Amino acid sequence: MNKLSFPRPRQSEIGERLRSEVREFIDGWHGNRHGAAAFSGFDPEFSEALGKRGWIGMGFPKRYGGGGYGLAERLVVLEELLAVRAPIFAHAVAERQSGPLLLRFGSERQREEIVPRIAAGKCYFCIGLSEPDSGSDLASVRTRAIKVDGGWRVNGAKIWTSSAHRTHYMVLLCRTAPASEVRQAGLSQFLVDMKTPGVTCRSIVNIAGDDDFNEVHFQDVFLSDDALIGVEGQGWQQVTSELTFERSGPDRFMSHMGAVEEFVTALKQQPSAEGARTVGRLVAHLSTLRRMSRSIAAMLTAEQDAALHAALLKDLGTCFEQEIPETLRLVLPTEPEPGASDGYSAALANVILHAPSCTIRGGTKEVLRGIVAKSLGLR
Amino acid sequence: MSEETRDMLHEAALRIFADKPKNLWAVLQESGFDKTLLPESKGGAGVSWADASRLLILAGEHAADALLADAMVGHWLVDHAGVDGATLPTVASSAHSEQIRLGRTRDGWRVDGKLPRVPWGGACTHVAFVVGSGTAAQLIVLSRDAAGISVTSGRNLAGEPRDTLVLENVVPAAVVAAPLDARELLSLSAILRSALMAGAIERSLALAVEYANLRVQFGRPIGKFQAVQQNIAFLATQAAAARAAAEAGSEAIDEWLDGVGEPLSRNIAAASAKIRTGEAAGQACAIAHQVFGAIGFTEEHELHRFTKRLWSWRDECGNEAFWSRELGERILAGDPGQSLWRAVVPMAKAISGAAAGAAR
Repeated sequence: MNKLSFPRPRQSEIGERLRSEVREFIDGWHGNRHGAAAFSGFDPEFSEALGKRGWIGMGFPKRYGGGGYGLAERLVVLEELLAVRAPIFAHAVAERQSGPLLLRFGSERQREEIVPRIAAGKCYFCIGLSEPDSGSDLASVRTRAIKVDGGWRVNGAKIWTSSAHRTHYMVLLCRTAPASEVRQAGLSQFLVDMKTPGVTCRSIVNIAGDDDFNEVHFQDVFLSDDALIGVEGQGWQQVTSELTFERSGPDRFMSHMGAVEEFVTALKQQPSAEGARTVGRLVAHLSTLRRMSRSIAAMLTAEQDAALHAALLKDLGTCFEQEIPETLRLVLPTEPEPGASDGYSAALANVILHAPSCTIRGGTKEVLRGIVAKSLGLR
Repeated sequence: MSEETRDMLHEAALRIFADKPKNLWAVLQESGFDKTLLPESKGGAGVSWADASRLLILAGEHAADALLADAMVGHWLVDHAGVDGATLPTVASSAHSEQIRLGRTRDGWRVDGKLPRVPWGGACTHVAFVVGSGTAAQLIVLSRDAAGISVTSGRNLAGEPRDTLVLENVVPAAVVAAPLDARELLSLSAILRSALMAGAIERSLALAVEYANLRVQFGRPIGKFQAVQQNIAFLATQAAAARAAAEAGSEAIDEWLDGVGEPLSRNIAAASAKIRTGEAAGQACAIAHQVFGAIGFTEEHELHRFTKRLWSWRDECGNEAFWSRELGERILAGDPGQSLWRAVVPMAKAISGAAAGAAR
């Protein structure tokens, strides 16, 4: 098989049954509706309601509070939630990558204590990767954990950490040994309770006016021995496998579906050939991306390495997201205004302001293309 | 068909293409690749359309100078019409019903009109096409040597024959109820073109990677320069998307013919295949040529064998704009209150209605 081929995904009958259940649940949800205005609603009430239905951590084993489903079923639920811009941001990171990370590399105590709370929609995570001087060059992180009696002492700073101010834990990547010739060596991951003394959080407002991301400082933070996740010095390998989860899901190509829906609603009032052509093209892209994402889920289920596939998908998916406002605005011109009463104008404003972040967060497209180039035998 | 047989078929095709025989078409015919969709009882291999598409991806990768896709569909249709002796059948998938007049005289059927740009229309032994829509669709097979057929030869950018046949009072070899209507045939042909395109895009990528690692400028292979790497990596994303779209389209054909999927005319994967591969083709050609610089712009170099086919195939059987508009209009014509998402991702049939209630 060709390196760039994505295996045929399987259709999950259980997943399709879940799809109708999720739609019914969403149609009957009377709590906050974040809708098109919010890029990513943070709503613990909604997260807990999902947890009660068993729709968080669906792939986790049952004994850790999971549903014992496969990744295919998880994708169905996730894409249905993303399609209606359901406020899933509170638990999304924990369920997407922190839970799977702990299940794979965590200690039994970490798994027992935390994973069931993630599955219940009550425990939220942030990811401490980027630093003020370390963004795309992740191996250059300088936050340092020094071995002390009974644990570790951490000093340093993380930045662009989404939701750090309102999550319970951080998975922190830091140096536990000086950088050697192999720059990726000597990195380790820690489980950090955000209430630990010495951890401070300062929110950073983005260009859309949201305060989603943060700067997090660590000043002589003491972490006990059992805060270490996995193996000391294996942080890089662990992060890489975690990033495959981060890069391969529908959240990498469905962020701007709200604007597309508003566009389609408006288009039905004033149909045009150009409008129809635009919708058809977007749907062709969306349907191809969905297939590729489901295909990666099948690869992960079969325990195949999908790092290259995930990089390809995230590049394609985020370029697609980013292109959406640029495409729509020329077909159905409007002056974008945040919070406008006209849903299309408001949604367009929202996606224009958020679009720059698509190809940056979770690995810039340049970094992803570097991964692809390397795998092709260039470099 | 077992997975093993399928792999053997794939390997056999790969060997033939890699050998680059001078008489490629004769070798492919001898091995029965043109009849591969027919059941074994009729000299075929009984492969699925998805498997046939995988062979076409290979053909595209090797710029196979042959009418494999059109002959495969041609054999399938000619067999359906019960016509014997077609050694080189082709298909006129872009036949416009309004350009064809099918009449019935006392002596039987007569056909008049025009079949535009038929692949190997001059050289074929038979041409199959469908007129009409829905259950009224009729499959017509003409013998190429029937009286009243005149040929205006034409070629696509790659030099592949695309001949226009003018029909005057032609007696068809067969007229039968069609297994698919004219639009569905166009869709099916578009999907097979997508498979060929996915293969040609992958070869453009492979050639670009190979050259970037060999060609030294400013003291190092150009593949060491990030600007070049980024372009080639982008080309790889397009190759991956094209293959995924083409495979999804071909699977939609199988599901439809097996009676488990939606009609091809309503299937999103079917419409998406040509849209996505067509777009990828344009991007791929531009990047591949940029990587090769002037040498890739010469007739001597082989790159154009792939890029000219891509530039041709993307406009055959409907281009991106054609299929995008068709798909978009279909979606917009749905229930006005329904979201785009729920139009694109309908609930699976098996669990709709009463079954869903019972499952809860």
